[in-house]
Amino acid sequence: MSWVKAASFNGEDVFDENADDLYLQSKEWASNMKKRIKDGYVDGVNAGEEASLQMGFNMGFREGAAQTVAVGRLRGIVSAVWCWCQIQHPEKPAPSHLIDLLQQVTQHEEGIIDGIRKTLENPPPSVSDVSESMEDLEVKPAGCEETDCCRSEQKMDLDGSHNQQNLRCESSCAASGSAEGLDLLVQRCMDLASELELPQELINRIEELRNM
Amino acid sequence: MAGQQGAEDLFDSILFADERFRGEGYQEGFQRGTQRGLHNGWRHGASHGAKLSSEISFYYGFAISWKCLLERQSDDRSRKRLKALEALLNLTQKFPLDDPQSVKLQEDTEKLRAKFRQVCSMLNVPTDFKDYIRTAEGTSF
Repeated sequence: MSWVKAASFNGEDVFDENADDLYLQSKEWASNMKKRIKDGYVDGVNAGEEASLQMGFNMGFREGAAQTVAVGRLRGIVSAVWCWCQIQHPEKPAPSHLIDLLQQVTQHEEGIIDGIRKTLENPPPSVSDVSESMEDLEVKPAGCEETDCCRSEQKMDLDGSHNQQNLRCESSCAASGSAEGLDLLVQRCMDLASELELPQELINRIEELRNM
Repeated sequence: MAGQQGAEDLFDSILFADERFRGEGYQEGFQRGTQRGLHNGWRHGASHGAKLSSEISFYYGFAISWKCLLERQSDDRSRKRLKALEALLNLTQKFPLDDPQSVKLQEDTEKLRAKFRQVCSMLNVPTDFKDYIRTAEGTSF
């Protein structure tokens, strides 16, 4: 009896082996193609990043530069006035509200630059992170690889645009907040210049910073 | 013949599947990479741009103020100082802040710093007066 069992078992086994073979082959094919997609994806990410990095840098540079023009000029003006006071009246210290204003302007400027720098501290996922997440996909039980890819791609895209939205919001919020603060500092500088009886031409120059 | 054609197509599709799948991945990756490149580039660029613009704008504000303060005076010394201030102003206005890829960026920055030091020495202002203000106030930033 046992040989009958063994024979029928063998028979089934042979049949199963064929099925397994096909299954294994299609699985191998799927995994190979998945690997192709992954390789292409990683190469594409690198190529895309390389192609757009300079353009992004240029855009950011101009935007960042525009944010510090007014406050940088104001710092230069207040510094010059401070030097002028020191030279005109070396015997007495500079007015305390002039020193205070200079510190506030410097702090304000550092705040703007820090705000921009802070976005550097939370970098989006790097290429290695993407490779890792692609590897995660492979570990997942068999399913439609394309759907998986599309799904993860969408997810990453969403993350990416989310980051960008955050960045835009942060920079525009910082810009609007700083504009208000800067107007106050400009006004204080104008009041100080009139108090020190500095030339009207200089006061006009300070006022110009309001509309920048 | 039709069968042969079909077999060839099938053969081709197997042969080129490698490239096709790779290409699909590449397209998706390229889009993602472009987005990331713009994002990373933007943030680094913004930081550099803000710092450099702050420095150049400072020189401009400093020079324009001294120009206004000295214009009332007509002695020889003041005229020399005004001339140097004009040169400093000129350099700040020509500075390529809108073109971060300008080959002149580094050279112009050096020129501007040198001119600023020269102007400071002509005005009898220590170049490191900013540090002086900070230590005088006992505040550390």
